[in-house]
Order: sequence, then C-alpha cells, then structure tokens
Amino acid sequence: MISRVADHGFWLGRYVERAESTARLLSTTRSLALDGELEPAACWRPVVVVAGEEQGYAARTAGDLAAWDDGDRVEAFLATDAEVPASIVRSIAAARDNARSIREVVSLEAWESLNELYLWSRGDAARAEFAERRFGYYRHVREATQLVLGLMRSTMLHDEPLDFIWLGVMLERVSQTARILDVQHHAYTSLTSRHEVVETSLWLSLLRSLSGFEPFMKQCRGRVDAEAVARFLIREDRFPRAIAYCVHAAYQRLAAIRPPDADDRPGGASLARLHALDALIAGGDGELRGAAVHALLTHVVDEIHAVCESLGKELLGYG
Amino acid sequence: MTAVPLLTGYAPLPGTFDEILAADGPRPPFARVLDALARLKTDELARLQQLAEQALLNQGVTFSVYADNRGTEKIFPFCLIPRLVAAADFAHLERGLEQRLRALSAFLDDVYGEQAILAAGVIPAEMVLGAAGYQPTLRGLKPPGGVRIHIAGVDLIRDPAGTWQVLEDNLRTPSGVSYVVENRTITKRVIPRLLDGARVHRVDHYPTKLAETLRAVSPRPGGDTTAVVLTPGPYNSAYFEHSFLARTMGLELVTAPDLFVDGDVVYCKTTRGPRRIDVIYRRTDETFLDPEVFRPDSVLGVRGLMRAYAAGNVALANAPGNGVADDKAVYPFVPDMIKFYLGEEPILAQVPTFVCAKDDDRRYVVDHLDQLVVKAVDEAGGYGMLMGPQASAAERAEFRARVEATPRRYIAQHRVELSTCPTWIGDRRCLEPRRVDLRPYILTSPSGPWVLPGGLTRVALVDGSYVVNSSQGGGSKDTWVLKSGGAI
Repeated sequence: MISRVADHGFWLGRYVERAESTARLLSTTRSLALDGELEPAACWRPVVVVAGEEQGYAARTAGDLAAWDDGDRVEAFLATDAEVPASIVRSIAAARDNARSIREVVSLEAWESLNELYLWSRGDAARAEFAERRFGYYRHVREATQLVLGLMRSTMLHDEPLDFIWLGVMLERVSQTARILDVQHHAYTSLTSRHEVVETSLWLSLLRSLSGFEPFMKQCRGRVDAEAVARFLIREDRFPRAIAYCVHAAYQRLAAIRPPDADDRPGGASLARLHALDALIAGGDGELRGAAVHALLTHVVDEIHAVCESLGKELLGYG
Repeated sequence: MTAVPLLTGYAPLPGTFDEILAADGPRPPFARVLDALARLKTDELARLQQLAEQALLNQGVTFSVYADNRGTEKIFPFCLIPRLVAAADFAHLERGLEQRLRALSAFLDDVYGEQAILAAGVIPAEMVLGAAGYQPTLRGLKPPGGVRIHIAGVDLIRDPAGTWQVLEDNLRTPSGVSYVVENRTITKRVIPRLLDGARVHRVDHYPTKLAETLRAVSPRPGGDTTAVVLTPGPYNSAYFEHSFLARTMGLELVTAPDLFVDGDVVYCKTTRGPRRIDVIYRRTDETFLDPEVFRPDSVLGVRGLMRAYAAGNVALANAPGNGVADDKAVYPFVPDMIKFYLGEEPILAQVPTFVCAKDDDRRYVVDHLDQLVVKAVDEAGGYGMLMGPQASAAERAEFRARVEATPRRYIAQHRVELSTCPTWIGDRRCLEPRRVDLRPYILTSPSGPWVLPGGLTRVALVDGSYVVNSSQGGGSKDTWVLKSGGAI
C-alpha cells in the first residue's frame, strides 16, 4: 500500500484512541475529585502532565497557581479547547482530517460515524452537553470513538490498511497506559499522609480510567495496592489496555504488515525493536515497586517513541 | 391539478421554458410523477429537505472553498425536488452526445496527427494552433488504447422553445459525477416511494463503467493491470469526488509524490516497495503533470511521466492536449467537425457564437455588449465573463477594452433564457421556478462512447440568476431520466 496512505491510517488510529483515552481520563478524574478525599490539585495536575500539556496549561492560565485546583478549567482546556494540541476536540479533528485524506481506504460507515462525531464536537449540542451534563459529554466521545473503531474492524478488509490503523491504536494505547500509570503511581505513592481507604480509592480510580476496574477485581483476590495494580496494568496479557497486551498486539499487526522472514521488504528495524519490547514485558517477573515501576514505564515510553520514529522512516514515507 | 398544495401558486416565468409545467398544466410525460409529488404537504417537504441536507453533511459530501479559509468545506446546496427528463428527450440526447464525442475524438486525433481539417480550411488554423490548450509537443503521439476523451461532461441547456442546446464541452477533467451518484443515494433514502413510482434509470453503475473504461486502455491488459486515481490532494475543491471515485472503483488514490518514473515506467511507492502503474485517471491539471514538459518551475507533478506516456507504458485519462477541443473559440466549429469527419448532420443544436478573432464578429460584439454574454475562452466556473444585459456601463467598457486588446481570448453569445424547474425555496417554504442546466457524462472506451442515463442538474438558486456554478450560488438536483414506457 502507498506509504502516505499508511501514514494517514496510522495517525487516524492514534488520534481516535487518544480522543477516547483523554475522555476516559477526564471523566474518572472528575469522579475522583468529587469524592473530595484529595486536594483538587492532586487530582488534576497528573492529568495535565499525562497529556504533556504542563507548560501549555501554565501559559494558558498565566501562571495562576489556583488554576491547578480548578477542575473545570483543566477539563475545558483538555476537552473543548481547539487551541490545545492534546485536547479531545483537536484529536477528533485530527483523526477526521487523516480519515478524510484516505476516504477511499476507510469504509463509508466508519467515515460517517467519525464525521458525525467531528460535526457534533464542533456544534452547539456538544457545548450544551459539556456545560450541563459533563459525564454525558465524555460518554458520548467514548461511545462514538468505540463505534468508529468497531466499524473499522467490522466493515473493512482485514489487511494492510486496517493493520496500520490498528498498529496506531495499539501504540497510542501503550503510551497512554504507561504514562497514566507512571504519573499516578508516582503521585499516589509519594502522598505524605497515607490513609488506606483513600489509597484504595485512588488505585480504583486509576483502574477505572483505563476501564480496568472490573477485570482487575476478577483477578485480584487480595489487597488493592500499588504493586497489584502495577502488575495488572503492565503484565496482564489478557486485558486489552494492559501494556503486555497492547505491545504484543502491536507486534502482531506489524508482523502482518512486514513478516519477520520478509528480509527484502522495509520495516525490519521497527519490527525487531518492537519484538524486543514485547519479549521484555512478557518475560519480566521482577518486583514492581517504586523506582522499578518508574524505570520500566520510562523505558516503555521511550521505546514506543523510538519504534514510531523508525516506522516513519521505514514504512510511512518520512524520508 | 388545481388542488395541489405544493404547486399552488407556482407560475412559470414569462418567456422561459418550464420543463415540468406548461401553461395548461403538467407536461404529459411527468403527469404521474407530479401527481405523486403533489400529495406531499409543504411541512413534509421542508422536513424531508432538511433530512437530505443533514445526510449530505454527515457523509461529508462536501467541496472545499478555495477563496474561503484553507480547508473550509461546504455541502453543495441540494434541492430535493428532482429534475425530470422524459425518455424520448434523453434518447435524443444520447444519440447527439455519442455523435458529438465521435467527432471531437476524430478532431483530436487529426489535430495531433495530419491536421487534415486545417488543410481543408474547415477551421481557421490559427483558431486551433493558437488555442491555449493546444500542445504542439504532443503531435504525432498516439495514446495507449487509442482513446483521448475517456471521460467527457457536456453542458446542455434548453431554450424558450424547449430545444436542447450544447453550451460547452468539458474534455479535460470534468467534475461533478460523484454528486450525480450521491444525490441519487439521498433521494432513495428520503423520497423512496416517489422514486420507485417514477421508473427512473439507475446511475450507481457509473464507477463500474468508469473502471472498465480505464482497464480497457491499459498497455498491459490482464489481471495485473493497476489503475490509480491521481488527485492534487485534500485541499482541492473536488477532493470529495476524487476519493469517491477511487473508493467506488476500488482503486488507490494517489498524489504526485507517491509516484515516480524509472526507465520510462511509472511506479507507486508502497509499503512493499515499488509497484508498476498502468493507467492513471488524473484529476490534476495537465500543466502540473510533469515538470519536465509543462512547467519547469513546478515542484508539483511526476518527473518523467510524459516520457513514460510517450513510450506507451502508461495510459493517461483524459489524454493531455484535449484542451484544444473544448476551447470556447473552437466550440463554434464542432458542427463543422461532425460534417467533416462523420459526414452527418449534427443531431444536437448549439448556441450561435461570435468569435471575436473574426473582424466582423468582433465589430458586432463590441457594438452590442448590452445584449451579449461575453466569455473568456480559457476560463471556467462562471469567471471571466460579462453578462451584458445585467452589467453596468463601466463593466461593459472594461470588457470592450479587453476584447479589442486580445480578441482571440473572447467569444460572445446571445443570452439564452435557460429553462426552469420547480425548486424548493427554504426561506419562503414553497416551490418557485429556477434556471437549470444539465451535464451528462460520456465514457469512451476503444469500443466507442457510452452515455450515463442521468447527469448533473445544476440550478441557479438565487432568484433571477443565470449562473449555476457551485462557486457562485448554484446548487444541484437529482436528475431522473425516466424509462421509456414509463409515462402516464
């Protein structure tokens, strides 16, 4: 397939996933903040950090320290602000732009559902929903993005274009899970006044932000603590938002695009790199506490970044 | 028909031909369809019209507006009330268009060959050789498959007597066919019973026919043939159509940087390495095809593409150089081409035209600017023209100066009172007559031309306007070509 088309497909997948992930994170953080057991800034700052918008937010709020306590401002910044690169509306628009550039590749049904989401996100209905029924707004984004992803899988040929889209979805998801876990893990384990009830509610909130609450509870029979949550979100290869699952799924997609034995075709370096990461996550059985978690997650984020760079050069036509 | 709520108060404009309603009631071929249409209430139609517009927006059936902010998209305004064409009328058009395309094809072969028609003095040589679309470097070059006008769109209008007339030929990269197919999808969805009862020719097989037309001219026939659609990109005003055609034909949509030429063979850069390309349906202007040949300063285009074309290794649809045949100053001579090449009388009438390059014509034109429509021969989309009867004295004076400075660039015609069709006017919630034209599409393969039984009906939505172009307040309608025996 054409490299430029592969590139658009890859980013289509990434942006759809990013819109969904941001909506989910904002929604659960709002819920956590409403529980009122944590200082507002302790809830909201990590969200801004995960989005990579710490500086952007500080600049937007002109250094006003109170802004970090203001959930409404953080939410508006990361959801509906079209000036913010990581915001939900921008992610939706970017996904739609990429899909529009490869209309002939994306199935009509998937395109229509994405275009409807885009038109909704820019209209009065979304503004009213965000102002009056905040959870309803996030729910709409999550459901619509899931619909897009589901329609792509159920109405497109399962071959290269979809492989690239799905590769994008999975790599984006790995980074999101790794960053959310890293940032929250750090924030929660360094709380000064530890209180078991509060701590448990924090871990459960983190799991909910990755839709992992129910699967985790089915798996974990013991205490809900930092290590159990980290183990689940990193190593559980049967949970579709855990790092082990996403890395392996990404590897499988890339291996479908460029089989390991196809030495005459481009993509070998990317494949080898992703394979090494997959083996590292799957094979690890060490302790997952404190600094070790941070070191592992940093490695994951760096490696995914390197894989994406390498994909760009080898397959996506970045030259 | 007097008790019809929807058409109550509908009055054809004086001096114009209303295609649906004559002075004494509905025209006979449409009586049955109108009867069904008349049962719709105003409120219901307003709701259906809204549904149709929402559906077009959701599907992203839009065009980009150049003059607007970069990337702004609009839906092509759509009127749900279909434009009806009687079976007998369309049969006449079909014969006339096939004849016209055979003559225009012969003309292009001749102009880029021995130039017999010039030698015979049927068309003044300077009219042809001086046309902006004439490409002298292509002389002697035979296109793969022998076809030059794979896709044509011919604009037709009806005069006050109801006679169909050719207004212009589009033989380079005619656009609009995607709206023909999409408009039908919408009417199917929104007014299915009306459509069903009317017995209308289908149009959704156009992409299949186009794909066959492209395959038929491949220099490497057989299963391996790869055809692609070449687009300038998502910011082009017709990008929706480019992606629509690629998608519905199952072809890849490429941009120029996706292609390269090696050893006079065209390849596409893919994730599995280079892939050979045999046929390019190019929707880019020919001056941006190959910087080696047309625009040395251009970074656009595919270097070496014309060498590959000349070597017979790739087919281009449409062939470069076609612009000489749809030049507005060559148009007046098409009836002569039909007689010269085919030995036949023209089946379709066309609008009498003054060629300003001729001294007599030019003198008449500058003296009668208040009665004429003047058009620049190398502009399209309703630009570069003077609507004499409506223009101000200053505008006319400006055009007089332009015509006298470069007469070859201008032609003039008497303004034809375009025919009208009942059109939904949202502000007033009623039907009013609005002027329309029709662009049928003709595909030509080595076995000859084929006319799609339908076409793009453009409608001048602005009250009193004659300009149907989408860039200037025009909209479209679904065109229903009725099947024969379907009347009454």
